[in-house]
Order: sequence, then C-alpha cells, then structure tokens
Amino acid sequence: MIEVEHLSKTYGSTTAIQDITFGAQPGEILGFLGPNGAGKTTTMRILAGYLPASEGTARVAGYDVHTDSMAVRQRIGYLPESPPLYPDMTVQGFLIFVAKIKGVSSDLRQKRAEIAMDHCGLLDKRKVLIRKLSKGYRQRVGIAQAIIHDPPVIILDEPTVGLDPRQINEVRQLIKGLAGSHTIILSTHILPEVSMTCDRVTIINRGQVVATDTPDNLTTRLSGEAAYEVEIKGDVDIAQRLLTDLTPVRQVTLLGPDHLPDYHHRLRVSAEADRALGGAIAAALVNAGLELHELRRQQATLEDVFLNLTTTEPSSGEAVALEPSLSEEIVEESIEEQEA
Amino acid sequence: MVIILKNILAIYQRELQSYFASPLPYIIAAVFWLLGGFFLVAILLGPQGILAQAAMADQSVQMGLPTPPPFDVAYEFNKAYVGLLGSLSMFVLPMLSMGLYADERKQGTLELLATSPVTNWAVALGKLLAVVSFYIAMVLPLMVCQAIALGAATPPTGSGVFLLSHLGLVLMAASVLALGMFISSLTESTVLAAIMTFALILLLWLVDAVAQGLPGVLGSAIAHLSLLKHFTDFTEGIFDTGGLVLFLSFIGLGLYLTAQSIETLRFQRS
Repeated sequence: MIEVEHLSKTYGSTTAIQDITFGAQPGEILGFLGPNGAGKTTTMRILAGYLPASEGTARVAGYDVHTDSMAVRQRIGYLPESPPLYPDMTVQGFLIFVAKIKGVSSDLRQKRAEIAMDHCGLLDKRKVLIRKLSKGYRQRVGIAQAIIHDPPVIILDEPTVGLDPRQINEVRQLIKGLAGSHTIILSTHILPEVSMTCDRVTIINRGQVVATDTPDNLTTRLSGEAAYEVEIKGDVDIAQRLLTDLTPVRQVTLLGPDHLPDYHHRLRVSAEADRALGGAIAAALVNAGLELHELRRQQATLEDVFLNLTTTEPSSGEAVALEPSLSEEIVEESIEEQEA
Repeated sequence: MVIILKNILAIYQRELQSYFASPLPYIIAAVFWLLGGFFLVAILLGPQGILAQAAMADQSVQMGLPTPPPFDVAYEFNKAYVGLLGSLSMFVLPMLSMGLYADERKQGTLELLATSPVTNWAVALGKLLAVVSFYIAMVLPLMVCQAIALGAATPPTGSGVFLLSHLGLVLMAASVLALGMFISSLTESTVLAAIMTFALILLLWLVDAVAQGLPGVLGSAIAHLSLLKHFTDFTEGIFDTGGLVLFLSFIGLGLYLTAQSIETLRFQRS
C-alpha cells in the first residue's frame, strides 16, 4: 500500500532524509519512530505529496506521489504536524468543507461528518468555533478531517501530541479500530505508542532507517541478551562463583547494597538469550543453601532498543551520536507516558 | 471538469463565509461606505460640487458673460464619482487581498489544500471570485445611492455609461485583487502583503503618470498597459475591447502567478 524506495530529501546543503526504504502492507499500522529532527515530518510530507523528494520514489496505493499526485491525494487522509484548521469555522462546517474538497459526494457528506465526529468524540462540539477549542480538541478535529473521506491510506504526523492521557488512549483505540480496512502510517517519538498501536515499526535516526520490524521482534531480536536480577541472603562470593559457572552466563555483577537488609545481596546476571536460565539460577542457588529472595528476568524494552539503535554509530561510519540530553528527554517522556 | 467546478465552489463558499466570521471585513466595508457616502454628497451638493458648478454656469449665461462649454451634469457626476470610488478602492483592495493566502500559510491550512485533490488553479480562482464578490457587495449600496441621484436628472440619462463605468471599476478591482492575491501567496505576514500590494498600486499609478509624461510611441505603448488609463476610459463611457482584454490579462496573470507561487512554495519549503 505504501512503498518507499531510496528516498532522499535535501534542503539546500542539509540532508533531511537519506536513502530511506520501507513499506506498509494493506491494513497495517506502521509506526514511524525517531527522535525529534530525525526526518519523520519530511517523510510524511513527501508521502502526502506536499513535498517532492530529491531522489528516490514513493508510491501510495500504487501511485507515484510525485507524478500521480492527484490520484494519491484522493486516496490519503493526512494529519500534518500542526492540525490545519480554520479558526473561524465551526467543527461541523469545517469537516463538511474538507469533505467537499476531498470529493465526498453531497449526499454522503453529512453522514461522513457524523461518523468522523463520533469517532473523534466531537459530537458535542459540532457547533463550536474551532478558535474556541482546546488544543486536545483541535488535534481531534485534525484527526477527524484526515478520516472524513474514508481514505484507504491515512498518514498521521504525531497524532497524540497535546492530548491528555485519556484522550491519548482513545485516539490509540481509534487508530487501532481503523486498521484492517485502512493502511495507517503514524509518526511519533513516544515509544509506548508504538508498542501499543503498531503492527510494525520503522526506526529512523538522522534521516536514515536503522531498523524495521514488529515491536516484539525488535525487542527480542535486537536486544540479543537476557538479564536477571537476583536477591539472595548468604555468602555472596559463593553465589557469584556458582552463577558464573552456569553455561550461558556472560557476566555477574554485584549491585549496590542500597536499602537491603543485612546479609542481603543483589546481583545482576547477564547471559545469552535463554528462557530456561531462570530455573537453572534458582536451582543452583537453592542447592548451595543460599536463600533466594527475588529472581526477576529483565526484558529489554523497546526503549533500550531505540536508545541502542539511535545512539550507536550507524554502519556508514559517520559519527552519529544522539545528544545525551535528547535521549534522556525521550526516556523521560516515555516514562511519563507509562506512568500516566 | 464538474469536480473542478465543485472544488472552486467549495473554496468560494468557505472564503465568503470567512468574511462574516471576522470583524475586519465589516470594518473595511463600514469605512468604505462612510467615505463613499460622504463623497457622494460632497461631489453632488458640496460648495465645489457638480450642482454648484452647473448653477454658476447658468448664472454666467444669464449675466451675459461668455458661454461656458456645454455641461452634462449627470455625465460629469458619474465620471467624477466612479473615478473617486476607484481611488478610494486603492486603499481598500490591499486590505481585502492581504489575507487570501498569507492566512492559509500562517494557519497551516495550505498544507490541507495542497494535499487535497484540488488544483492550485481552482483554489486561486475560488478565492479571487470570493473576494471580488465581496468587493461588489461593498460597491452595490453606493451604486444604488448614485442611481437614485442620477434618476432625478432631467432629461433622464441612459443607464449605459453608469453601468459601463461600474463594470470598469469592478474589472480594475479584480485585476488589483488578483495581483494582491499573488503577493499574499508570497508571505506569511498579512501586514507585509498589504504593504507590498499598496506599493504595487503606487507603481501602477506611476506607470500611468509616466505614460502621460512620455511623448511619442513609448508613451502610448506604456499607456496601453496602464490600468488607470483604461479605467478612466470606462468611466468616460468609452468601451474599448483593448481595455477589457488588458483587465482580463491582469486577472489571468494574477491567477497564474498565484498558482505557480504555491507550486514553487512546495518545492522550496524547508
């Protein structure tokens, strides 16, 4: 449904995206993940036919976005980074206008507007001027205008920005509900969003694709190691020796004694990915007469993968380290997300 | 084709609707009507007005002074008044055209229009038709007042010159609005668009002045391109296809430049 091949875009001498290749199958939700300034919006704009690419091709529903622009425009719903709204129109008036210019026939317009407003929770705001709406509601009107003509492909650039946690959840449910009959590509820099809504993820950094896979595969395949945290009571040296002797174990580190009762120790065991290791650890410790107080498998989260991918140098050899402040920001943001 | 017409209509309706939602068009219309009404009275009844001049001419005939050239009061009044409306419009038109595209750019709605199955031409034409309609709506009440005044003339005057002069007024306004729309598409700032459109109007006026000053072929060549010159012809009741073609060319040029400018904008945008 969406095919992007070797897409590049340069603004003067700066390269926004470079040789990007990815695709989305019909009915799929593709997450487009990357830190701020990674080239997400540029890619979205090229897909929507708003910007021409410098090199490469992008096809939506089989039509080239540049040469068959009109055919593509008829088949997409697009929510830009900032929702395109006329402040002096009512919600309903605006949606009817969008339906008109998107070519919805006159007998269907009212119905489509009702459906879009219903989906986005706007029914009680239909007569309100957009100027008077809060940011969250404006964002919803933006989503409503993207789905009003029931397009086969929906392009959403950061759809949940500015929404409160409940609304974010609603929008995610809405997006999930649209999948199947629609192909959706959504960009975001919020990680849980991707793992919750998307079938597949394309991670982009500094204008280049660094990974494309399902969220699950990304976390397991790319993390490549399993880690366990163990809390024991007893002789820590014996424990360390026992654990180091287990086959797949790579390293055992003693963690700080923070907030632990006397004789309690906390160890971190990192190993090759192996699901059976937990049992072996427990057996080894208990058989040696140590008290096992806690054994927890630490699963690599999408955040680890993301940070891993976006902070290490890409294969081209260019030094592309993310500024530390930026990555911290992303982590913090996602933590806030989860807490919410 | 039908789809394009529907799109033009959709843009046209939305644009017209926006005039009712914002206070600015009301204020512009109110000031235009106030000044237009004031000058209607001043030109007709003022101490230096047309009627006063006619009365003086009559007096000089009675006092046996040399007879002044014959003087058609209704014709002179129409010419002077429509000419004045033209000058007045020059201050109003930049304010009407300034927001046409600058607002769309500022609100980000241009991105919506540019990613919808609507051609740049259709958007530009819809917008131009809407703003010209608004201008006609502004001129209409003054036209009615003027028609009442002209209706009182004896012998009654034909409506030909009256209608022709107003056609000229609307055509000139449409030309300026089309160019103003192009200027508006170049910037995100409405104020800048207004100032630049006003500068353009001054330039057009300057072209007219230069054309009058230059002798020979060059002068008349420039005069052929002068909007004001052709507008004056219309107000004098001279219908000239050359003038009509010139106005339509300016309108076409404005539409073309606007459509191209939006296309280019998408190619350059960073």
